[in-house]
Amino acid sequence: MTLPIETHLLQACVSEPIKPVLDNVVTFGAGHFYVSQSDKGEMVMGGDLDGYNSYAQRGNLPTLQHVLTEGIAMMPFLSKLKMLRTWGGIMDMSMDGSPIIDKTHIEGLYLNCGWCYGGFKATPASGWTFAHTIAQDRVHELNAGYSLNRFNTGHLIDEKGLGTKTWIS
Amino acid sequence: MLYINCPHCGMRSQNEFSYGGDASVKRPELNKEVSDQEWDNFVYNRKSLRGKHLELWQHISGCRQWIKVERDTATHEIFRTFKADEEVA
Repeated sequence: MTLPIETHLLQACVSEPIKPVLDNVVTFGAGHFYVSQSDKGEMVMGGDLDGYNSYAQRGNLPTLQHVLTEGIAMMPFLSKLKMLRTWGGIMDMSMDGSPIIDKTHIEGLYLNCGWCYGGFKATPASGWTFAHTIAQDRVHELNAGYSLNRFNTGHLIDEKGLGTKTWIS
Repeated sequence: MLYINCPHCGMRSQNEFSYGGDASVKRPELNKEVSDQEWDNFVYNRKSLRGKHLELWQHISGCRQWIKVERDTATHEIFRTFKADEEVA
């Protein structure tokens, strides 16, 4: 099956540990950056995709520089921190940035994919509607919009997820 | 850092380039009836290959030409680059 999905690369990084400065997750709305502080005191940061198809599970410096520039614009003290480590993971980027939770034309095969670089907070609801879809062999009204054929019919979901073409924003 | 050999300008860093996606995708012929499925395949459906991948890049901070790049999506190794209108064997 060919899906409206591309595999992309997303990096994150952690700094050396520092005293408590941040008790929340903060995101940078004008670009693509998030930061939180771990219990050990490390600043955990990330943001944009590298932007090209990749299964490498490691990234390149230009995107990390771009992401951390946004972070420093918001919190200048971040520029003084040394990075402890960086890593990259593979992301199933759907074409409109929203997931697909649906039946397929193959009997017994169901899809729950295309979560892009988010969706963790949506896991309870997506699991519940996916279980409904499998158990009853029909979609629940809450995941009816996340259909596979929305790309065919033109009913894309505008959640500002942007999908594989994040630079369009 | 990726280094891409632009066929017009020579070897440059990835900072000068913007990514354009899978270069094997063909726009449907417009002089005949085009089905929704054909548009769907052109606009959205992708093979998303692991391994050798022919893709489009634009040299936005250089000659601004679109080029084709043959790159391994698992290792990021770049094998060959082509002008946009070159046929790739």
